[in-house]
Amino acid sequence: MGGPQYDFLSNPLGAVRSTFEKAMASVSDPSSFNSGDWGAMDLFTNFLFDQSHHFQVPVLTPASMRWIKPNTLVRFRGMIQDMLGNEFYVGAYKDGAVWRTNKFMDVSQFPIGPSADTRIWERRLLYCVPVPGLNSWAQISSEAVTDQCMGWTSEQREKRPRAEAECSDMTVSSEEDQGSPSTKKMREGEQPSLASQSRESEIASSSFSLAPVPEGNSLHCLVKVRFCLRRSYEVYDSPESELKLNEIFEFVGILASDPEIQEDNVDNDLSNEFCEDPLRHFPPNKVVPRFHCFVHRKLAAQDFLQNNPIIEPKLDMVKGIREALLRHLTAVLGNDDVAAHFMLLHLLSKVHSRVDSLAVGKLSLNLTCFSKEIVSIFGNQLNVVVKNLMPFTHCIPLTVEYLNTASLAPKKNYDINRLETGALQLAEGSHLIVDETKLEAGTLNSLGVENARLLNNLVEWQKVEYDFKYYKMDMTTDVQLLVLSEGKSNILPADVIVPFRPSAANCSEAVTAEALEAWRWYLATVRQLPHSIESEMQQVVENDLVAARQADRSLNAQDLSRWLTMSRLMSLSFGETSLSLEHWQMVKELDRLRKERLK
Amino acid sequence: MASDSSPINNGPSSPDDSPSSPIGNTFSSPGDAARRNRRRGRSSTPSAFDTPPVHRSRFAAAADATPTPSRSRQRSGGAGRPPVTPTSTDDIPASSEGGDGFDMDDARPTFVWGTNISVEDVNDAIQRFLRDFREASSSQNDDDMLQHLHTEGKYEKLIKQVIEVEGDSLDVDAHDVFEHDPDLYTKMVRYPLEVLAIFDLVLMNMVSRIKPMFEKHIQTRIFNLKSSTTMRNLNPTDIERMVSIKGMIIRCSSIIPEIREAIFRCLVCGNCTDPVAVERGRITEPTICLREECQSRNSMTLLHNRCRFTDKQIVRLQETPDEIPEGGTPHTVSLLMHDKLVDAGKPGDRVEVTGIYRAMSVRIGATQRTVKSLFKTYIDCLHIKKTDKSRMLVDDAMDIDNSEGRNPEEVHFDEERVGQLKELSKQPDIYERLTKSLAPNIWELDDVKKGLLCQLFGGNALKLASGASFRGDINILLVGDPGTSKSQLLQYIHKLSPRGIYTSGRGSSAVGLTAYVTKDPETGETVLESGALVLSDRGICCIDEFDKMSDNARSMLHEVMEQQTVSIAKAGIIASLNARTSVLACANPSGSRYNPRLSVIDNIHLPPTLLSRFDLIYLILDKADEQTDRRLAKHIVSLHFENPESMEQDVMDISTLTDYVSYARKHIHPQLSDEVAEELTRGYVDIRRRGNFPGSSKKVITATPRQLESLIRLSEALARIRFAEWVERRDVMEAFRLLEVAMQQSATDHATGTIDMDLITTGVSASERMRREAMVQATRNIIMEKIQIGGPSMRLLELLEELKQSTGSEVQLTDLKNAVATLASEGFVTMHGESVKRS
Repeated sequence: MGGPQYDFLSNPLGAVRSTFEKAMASVSDPSSFNSGDWGAMDLFTNFLFDQSHHFQVPVLTPASMRWIKPNTLVRFRGMIQDMLGNEFYVGAYKDGAVWRTNKFMDVSQFPIGPSADTRIWERRLLYCVPVPGLNSWAQISSEAVTDQCMGWTSEQREKRPRAEAECSDMTVSSEEDQGSPSTKKMREGEQPSLASQSRESEIASSSFSLAPVPEGNSLHCLVKVRFCLRRSYEVYDSPESELKLNEIFEFVGILASDPEIQEDNVDNDLSNEFCEDPLRHFPPNKVVPRFHCFVHRKLAAQDFLQNNPIIEPKLDMVKGIREALLRHLTAVLGNDDVAAHFMLLHLLSKVHSRVDSLAVGKLSLNLTCFSKEIVSIFGNQLNVVVKNLMPFTHCIPLTVEYLNTASLAPKKNYDINRLETGALQLAEGSHLIVDETKLEAGTLNSLGVENARLLNNLVEWQKVEYDFKYYKMDMTTDVQLLVLSEGKSNILPADVIVPFRPSAANCSEAVTAEALEAWRWYLATVRQLPHSIESEMQQVVENDLVAARQADRSLNAQDLSRWLTMSRLMSLSFGETSLSLEHWQMVKELDRLRKERLK
Repeated sequence: MASDSSPINNGPSSPDDSPSSPIGNTFSSPGDAARRNRRRGRSSTPSAFDTPPVHRSRFAAAADATPTPSRSRQRSGGAGRPPVTPTSTDDIPASSEGGDGFDMDDARPTFVWGTNISVEDVNDAIQRFLRDFREASSSQNDDDMLQHLHTEGKYEKLIKQVIEVEGDSLDVDAHDVFEHDPDLYTKMVRYPLEVLAIFDLVLMNMVSRIKPMFEKHIQTRIFNLKSSTTMRNLNPTDIERMVSIKGMIIRCSSIIPEIREAIFRCLVCGNCTDPVAVERGRITEPTICLREECQSRNSMTLLHNRCRFTDKQIVRLQETPDEIPEGGTPHTVSLLMHDKLVDAGKPGDRVEVTGIYRAMSVRIGATQRTVKSLFKTYIDCLHIKKTDKSRMLVDDAMDIDNSEGRNPEEVHFDEERVGQLKELSKQPDIYERLTKSLAPNIWELDDVKKGLLCQLFGGNALKLASGASFRGDINILLVGDPGTSKSQLLQYIHKLSPRGIYTSGRGSSAVGLTAYVTKDPETGETVLESGALVLSDRGICCIDEFDKMSDNARSMLHEVMEQQTVSIAKAGIIASLNARTSVLACANPSGSRYNPRLSVIDNIHLPPTLLSRFDLIYLILDKADEQTDRRLAKHIVSLHFENPESMEQDVMDISTLTDYVSYARKHIHPQLSDEVAEELTRGYVDIRRRGNFPGSSKKVITATPRQLESLIRLSEALARIRFAEWVERRDVMEAFRLLEVAMQQSATDHATGTIDMDLITTGVSASERMRREAMVQATRNIIMEKIQIGGPSMRLLELLEELKQSTGSEVQLTDLKNAVATLASEGFVTMHGESVKRS
């Protein structure tokens, strides 16, 4: 576009307005922007991604909240924790003879006359929180924020207490509207046309925090997204960006400017009643910022790497990293080679398809023989290692009391019309350690039974039941589960049970930051590789399965299925995309070793 | 007051100015709701305050309106403003031409503001509709005149009914409107406020013609729109249109009294004003006393007890789970209910709502004039209909008393669908196809699936005049090795079945299954809460891990499975609840793997009394068979590496399957013919006869009357699968085959290889009984030989040795103990601990 370069960073609304004006020059009525955009979106997308100004946009964090000016461009990363439905607003209106737009704003700058010609547009409200269990290394540090040019480099802090990671929640409300009427001369005497309502939904999100906000550490955000859910959806949104619950997004947009907006402290009867709307129970703007979103994109594990190197995974390099990582895991696990192998496969697993209710590809791991002493030595270490490797991790110390009191499943609270989060509302690809070693005999109450069932369902089906009071809804998840227990866990029937046999107490050496980064990159990248099987290999596998079953009748479908999952992960761990005989045999051998231990 | 002469002018009545009006007037929505309400609710409150209300239309509001609506063509719209009001063009000429004549002699037709919809046209169209509409069969134009004489229009009849019962609303099926006049339908959906207003007007005119003194106002309630949207798809273009959505009520506000008319009194002179109606959601308090003598300023006070209020309620509606896309949370929408609709639904109800979608602007503060650019949306409710709860419609033929107030609309398939289903049923291999479609990802187990299919379709329940009843539900028990996908089958059936309830035996208590009594926390009354079995009345109750269930809980099942009721007697409540449910249970063998040398009873520790109540008992054993293994291997490999879709062809999708089953359950009631009955009898006798071995005293029971009943149910279910009204011979043969397959697996006496129902009914097979008798005899002989009466006692172990020697075979100590115990009960010996003594 040959026009003037807009100051996207500090005055995005200006750019919105002037593009709107420009667009209105050629079109007589903003309703023709039905498809949602008059070009501002493209401009921003172009500016952010094609011209890679993306990293210059400051990140919204509790710290940066203080100095970020309203109405400037900011980024926010978070998980969609709840969806608050759609919001209708006056998208464009006629101020005198001039069209103006309210898009990306909560309050119109100019009073809208009672008789004004208006267009109603729609946006979506999303309540976003920081990714639960986000580890410190995956966060964008505050230094990075201040240093705008270096946006993504963050200090390399290791092992920060998880609590800190958890407490930056924010709700982003990203608003994507369609055409914003900016000051634009309209032909006089034009009939007030039918409300041209744009069908695109804009997501208006205002942010608010659900929980009592801990010390400004957690930033929830209400994101208002103009979201073209329906017709105009394909216009500028790639299919993957369809917003789903529990997915992680980065939103680029502006912070709502007007902190004075209070909810109507209704004297008027009726509106009071209707105010059962989500915003009513929100804390004020300062606590939960409202955020209007221009552009959003889905994030995967790679996006949380600090120096996101886009490297084609080369086989020998991958192999090298694999060896190193395996060595490290072996050391951490007290030289237990078998457990380390399983651990590696486990860290690489993800649900890659679902057949009916079956989740294919999951590999939950249950390390048994964790007595009190072993836990004290290895439990913590293991926890730290996982934290350092995976972007989002959680740890649940399972006790009878915990089961009886914790709220694991998210629950809809109709009083405030919000989904109250539970410990099992996790982002896709989260890692969850369940420490069962502290579980002692006791009585479960009804909540405890329910929680145990939830955990069981999570392990078996990778599904969490959300409680909507009048009905329950199964939400699919993809969580890697690691169970530490003394004997085989019955609450959490994991796919693989490996008795833990450490031979040395503490032989883990210090790890360099580079190594850690390489491993993180390895785990995030290799997981995403495609995988297939040649037909000859398929024949071999089938024959092997049949032979194994003939030899041992106790093998059942789950066992065979596990082998295939493991073989897939095994070849992925070498960076290969199709199964080879060698890897297949490695898997069989590994499982044989494991079985021997079980005896 | 005169100012509100045209309702359309002061409200967002015409769709194009709708967005503006909410902004222009912060109270517009409430105001308009109020006004609408006034129009709809109270005919008796016309705005002209000086005329005593004589059933005037809600629109006869012009200041100069004449109180008698029967004058024709009194047009009140002033010359200056856009003529809007459908005024009292009420007089209806007896002939339909009169309506057409309207436009002719009126030079300037009245239009709805901003549109080209002529009020007169709409008026006439509605008149024609109400007068002329007849059900499909009789509405042909040719005979119009003729029919006029003979039949009454559907709605004329309905109006008369309403008048008779002094009702206050007339339900109008939108399908009828469409059928009669698609154009009117379109206008009605597009501009509901205006068209409904005219509708009411026309209606009232008709009413007053039929019964001039009728006082009440009757409103039109439109329902059953041609298309209903989902909550998710409501968008700005729907504002001010008539929409129909389905959902579940999640919250009801308390009832809010809304003021309609206020009366003020002057504090100085005590003079009362005339009723002041609500305008734009507000009542304007007169600033000056109207009495000539008084004229004091700001002296008016509201007289609460003389004001008039109406009921209002705000209800929140939420999407039902089936409408929510993956990864979404349910949307909600507010409903505004008035008058009769208040409390029409309660939280948890699934309803279908017809109403007008409206938006209302939000003010920043009570006192500020600035408006947020936001809107709140709600649906002004016109009609509410409760819909059925379950996925597969529950109403079905297994019910004996069809008459009890059931809504016939509940099961509704359109004809196209029915045609499709019927087409399907005609296919020769429908039985096989259905079998294949059932849990397609579980391979093999075809016979089990066939059994489950029968369970889904069910037999006919029967109630004799004597009061005895026979259940139509088929109960199935699956017993088998772990890892044979029993649980998956259960899960699948649970998803498919009407009112399926899934419980796990371990987590279920007796009360959880049946019913329990609790105290209501609010009122302190004792209330009966239904358990799983009662909730799955007319459905299938799936119980996993049946063997892990406590005996107490299991014993509750006895009553349910045969009598189909649950009886409760506690805490002052004695009740018998219907639990017409099929039970699908699965159990693991007690020793984790099935021991083929033991009987079913020994393998699963279930009481024989309960076991015999299952129609079919399947043993799902893991057999060492290379063919099966290969299929399994192929299946698993394809699960992991191929597109799973590609491997299943020719399989019905789950919704077709569900529809098929529910349609069959509802509409097909197969009967037994004499020939088939004969066949059943013969087959049954045949089976019984198999128990008699020629030349052997051993009597084996191979079938019991319970099996005969099962056979009848199974054959009925099989006929139903084919949508056949008569059970045929092949159904009976198949039923025999199914039963036999199940019997062979579970009731085979492994010692002899014959079917023995005693195994199921008593837990002891005939051959076992004979063996025990022989044992007792041998023991008796030995004791006679070794021990003298009154002589020294003998230790059991010694006895065991003796026995082994004399019989020359291995003898178990437990068997010996049993034998001695039998002898002791005969008084032949006495036992003291380990020693045996002759008495």
